[in-house]
This record gives sequence, structure tokens and C-alpha cells, in this order.
Amino acid sequence: MWDETGRIFIAAFRRTEEAIAGLLPGLLAMLAIVLAAVLLAILVRRIVRRACERLELDRRLRAWGVAPPPAEGRAGPSHLVARFAGWTVLAIGFLAGLSVFETSTSSGVSARLLAYAPHALIGTVLLAAGAGLSRVVERSVLIGAVNMGLQSARLLGLGARWLVLIVATAMALEHLGLGSTTMTVAFGILFGGIVLTLALAVGLGAKDAVARSLERHLPPAGEPPPARPDEHDVHHL
Amino acid sequence: MPDADRQTAGGPILLAVVGSASAGLAARAAEVEALARARFPGREVVACVTGDAGTGLVPHGEAGGGAPGTDRGGRVDTVAGGIPGPASPLGALLREADRRAAPALALVAGQPREDGIDWLGALLAPIVEERFDFVCPAYRRHPAEGALTTAIVHPLMRMAFGRDLRQPLGGEAALSPAFARRLLADPDWRRDPVHAGSDAWLVAKALTGEERLCQAWLGPRPRATADPEEPSETLVRALGLVFRELERHAPRWQRAGPPRPVPTFGDGGFLPGDGPRLPAERYARALQLGQRELGEVWGLVLSPSTRLAIARAAAADPVALDDPLWARIVCDFAVAHMARVVEPGQLLRSLTPLYLGWLAGFARELDRSGVAGAEARIGAICAAYDGERHHLVARWRWPDGFTP
Repeated sequence: MWDETGRIFIAAFRRTEEAIAGLLPGLLAMLAIVLAAVLLAILVRRIVRRACERLELDRRLRAWGVAPPPAEGRAGPSHLVARFAGWTVLAIGFLAGLSVFETSTSSGVSARLLAYAPHALIGTVLLAAGAGLSRVVERSVLIGAVNMGLQSARLLGLGARWLVLIVATAMALEHLGLGSTTMTVAFGILFGGIVLTLALAVGLGAKDAVARSLERHLPPAGEPPPARPDEHDVHHL
Repeated sequence: MPDADRQTAGGPILLAVVGSASAGLAARAAEVEALARARFPGREVVACVTGDAGTGLVPHGEAGGGAPGTDRGGRVDTVAGGIPGPASPLGALLREADRRAAPALALVAGQPREDGIDWLGALLAPIVEERFDFVCPAYRRHPAEGALTTAIVHPLMRMAFGRDLRQPLGGEAALSPAFARRLLADPDWRRDPVHAGSDAWLVAKALTGEERLCQAWLGPRPRATADPEEPSETLVRALGLVFRELERHAPRWQRAGPPRPVPTFGDGGFLPGDGPRLPAERYARALQLGQRELGEVWGLVLSPSTRLAIARAAAADPVALDDPLWARIVCDFAVAHMARVVEPGQLLRSLTPLYLGWLAGFARELDRSGVAGAEARIGAICAAYDGERHHLVARWRWPDGFTP
């Protein structure tokens, strides 16, 4: 009985040994690919960081209101972009490494993920660009509305920001192929609702401005022109 | 300018008559040419208009197929002031003056003028007869007109460059050939074509160079053809040019001494009578709205103490920004423009409620004291800017880590 047990144990051990021996080249190949990906990620991260510094990305994004002012312990936009680029390269390298194994499960999953990676990347970029653009639009609309004397300036700015964000999110999700019909309907409802809200806000907030403009351009019939020119006739320079 | 240069410049006095395309510019140029011939007898005069392509100058007789009176000409309205480089006819005028060896050259607005005033003689005589190199025009206006010049352009350029030009962005100008040649050879035409040739660029070059400059009162300002702009648009257009010139000449103006008067020709002063009515209450509400909504943007530009002072001014009755506070705000915006803390267009537009807040107090004072008190008021604004000079220089020199 002890002989039989020993024989089975050795056979099992040999089978494990053979399996490991069969996996080892693939494992080594995967490690090599991941190692190369790590090195490439470090390189890409440095290149992206340097390019961002050369383009003064942090300053430009802060000037446009996309990024908040610098603060201790808070990573700047160029740091985040470089980190994102590095992690993207590393993730793609890991997926490429997984595809080395010839098991149907791992190679199938990695192949599908690799095929999906460009969509995910573009979706992320769309979302990030939309988020940045939404802040630029918010500030521009806010300043413009204040200069027009609209009392609901902040609401208008916020509404404009959410409009851009929603459009960007809908585009990103459509690119990712997630819930396309639901997203289209939800986007339509949300977008329409915000546009209606903004239209009401402008209509109610700007009625005085519109009245002034109409009075200036279409004076009531029979009314004599003002004795003194008013502010609309003033050249500020 | 060396006398030898003027003697070798044996060509005609060159005038560029500038205005909108639909203003009968060629006919106006013919009138201006006749006026100059009568004022400077024995001298040849050529009045040109800008060609159809917007580049190069065409003698008025050749414009519109040689028929004076045909509408064909410039694309900008110099009277509006704050002319950006690419739209300015200055480059074409300098090249044409060099080609014709003109002893004097001038940019002249194409709008009709009040009769009986020797405005062209006042503009050209300092160059032709007094041997000056640059004549900056000044106009008699009601104090309520040109408030941006009163509030920012005049006192800021006076404080920075140390010369007291009343209306630096007048649009018109007269130049000597030596100054014209120096401008023509300036590398800014290649390095910074967006700003080279603008009226602020021209004035800043004259203020920082070795040339002899003066100002001449030309009578009432001709009316601009275009409708007045919104204050925010004028701020972006004109103040962007002025701030850009502060950046360009920073090493120079930081060493400038206290302001000195400039030789002045002609009778100055304000136009009497009722000027435009400025709605002080509406301007005050604009400041209050800005104070409520634009705190985030102003927080990137102004120090907490300045913001607190603005909040107090907006809550006071009557609402008004006093001159020292206003001067500090403008200096801080100039530094923020240089440090690119906020995108320039957004930055300058966000100054609008503050400008209107200052204008609210100015309008009330005009109503109270009338034209008689305006001169003293301008003196007070200039003194307030002079008091902020050290603040401006100190903040300008350490722009890194711009944290107000």
C-alpha cells in the first residue's frame, strides 16, 4: 500500500513538474514582456512629462480654469497625464504578456481586452477633454453673463458646464459601446431639460437687458430723442 | 532727429487718411491734402488711402479708378483707438514714407472735423517746424467720454513710462523720417506681428526711445463711424495692447523716474456743456454682481486684502471704488496678464465690473462737480497710480508662484 501511495505521489509530482515545465517558458516570456512594458512605461512617462513641461501644460490649463491653482500635495495636470500614459503602457504590456499563454481562457480574455483597449483609451480621452472644456465654457459663460448684468450668471455657467459634460460623457459611453439606446434617450432628456432651464434662466434674467436694448433700437413712436446722449453713445476709449 | 536726415528727406509730406470703407475716403483724403498744402505752402503733400487688399497705400487720386469721391479705402477706424497690429496701416505708411523719402508722415482719421480748427497744422507743425520726432494727439472731449483712457490708459502709461501723454491711444500720429526708419527696422514686425504696428506699440516705442516726442491738442475728437462697443470689448481690445507693451518694455520702465511733462502744443481742456449721461446706479449694480459671482477669478489675481476692500466698496452706500484701490487692482491685473495666471481674454473681461464700479463713482463726481472738477479728478487718479508704482515693480519682478 505504501509503495502504491508513493508511486501515485511521484506520478502526481511528475505531472505537476511537467505542467510547470510546460508553463515556465510562457511565464518567462510574460515576465520579459511585462519587464519591457515597465521600462517602456517609465520611458513614456518621462517623455510625456517633459513634453508637457515644454508645452507649459500646467500653466495653460490653470490659465483656462481647467486645473485648480497649485497646492501642496496636489499633483499637477502634467503629472497626471504622464502617470496615465505610463499606466496605459503597463496595462497594455500586461495584456500582451497574458496572451503568451496558450490556454484558451487567458488568451481569449487578453485578446478581447487588447481589442477593447483603443476604445477605452479614446473614451477616457473624450471624457477628460470634455471635463476640461466644460470648465473653460463655464468660466467664459459666467464672465459674459456677469458683464451682461444677468442675475443668474452662476446658474448659466453651471448649466453650460453640465451641458458640455453630458455631451462628452454620452460620446465617451457611445464609443465604449455601453448602453447605447438607453444612453441616447437619457442624453436627449437630460440635454433638453438643461437647455430649457437655461432658456428660462436667460429669459427671466435678461428681460431688463432686452427691454433696454429694444428701447434703444426701437424708441416708442412720437417720443422725442433724449436731450443728452446716454451711456450707449459713449466711447470708453 | 539729426538735421541732415531731414535735409536728405526731400520727398512729399505723406499722409495716410484712414477710415471705414464706406465713408467717402478718397474725397476726404483730397480735402486733407488741400488743407496740408494750404498750411505748409511750398511743400509737396501726398495724401493716401489704404488699398483694396488692406495692404499698401494708394494716393487718393488713384483710388477708385482715379476718381476722388469713390468709396474705396482703409479697413480700420483709427478714431476708435486700440488698433491691433495686423489691422493698422502704420506698416504700409512707414514703407511708403521710406520709399518716397518723406520729411514728415502722419496717420490721419478720415472722419469730418469741426471747421475753423487748424488740427492738421497742430499735428504736423511739431515735426515740420519744431523738429520733434513723434506727435501724439489729444482731443477736447467731455470728461464722461473716453473713461477708459482716464481710468487706466493715461495714468498707467504715465506712471510706467514717466511721460505724461493725455490720450496715448488717440489713433492718429505724426512721425519724423528718422523715427519711421527706426520703426521700420524694428524686429517686432517679424517677432510679434500680432502687436507690431498697433497704436499702443507705436506710443510705447516713442516713450522708450531717444526720440523727441510731444503732444498736440487737435480740437474736438472726430466721431467714430462704428457704434460704441460694450465696455468689456473695449477693455479686451485696448487694454490687452497696453499690457502687452508693459511686458515688452518691462526692463525699461522699471528704471524710469517720476513722470515728467511732455512739450504740448495747442489749447487743451474739456468740452463744456452736458456730456453723455452715465448711469451710476447701473454701474454700481454691475460691481455688486461681479463681487458676488466672480470671486473665483478675482481670487487668482487680487490679494485677499484687495478683495476685502472691493467687498466693502460694493456694500457701501454709495457704491464706488476709490482711486488708490482702483490703481492697485489695475496693477494686479497687469501682473496677472504678464504671468498668464488667467487666459488673457477672460482676465480682461473679468475686469469689467470693477471698471464699471470705478466709473460709478466717477460719474457721480462729474454730476456733482461738473466739467470744472474733472481736471483735479484726473490729477488724483494719476497720483493714486504713482503711489502704486513700487507695488507694481515688486510684483512684476517676482511673478513665479503667482499667489496674490
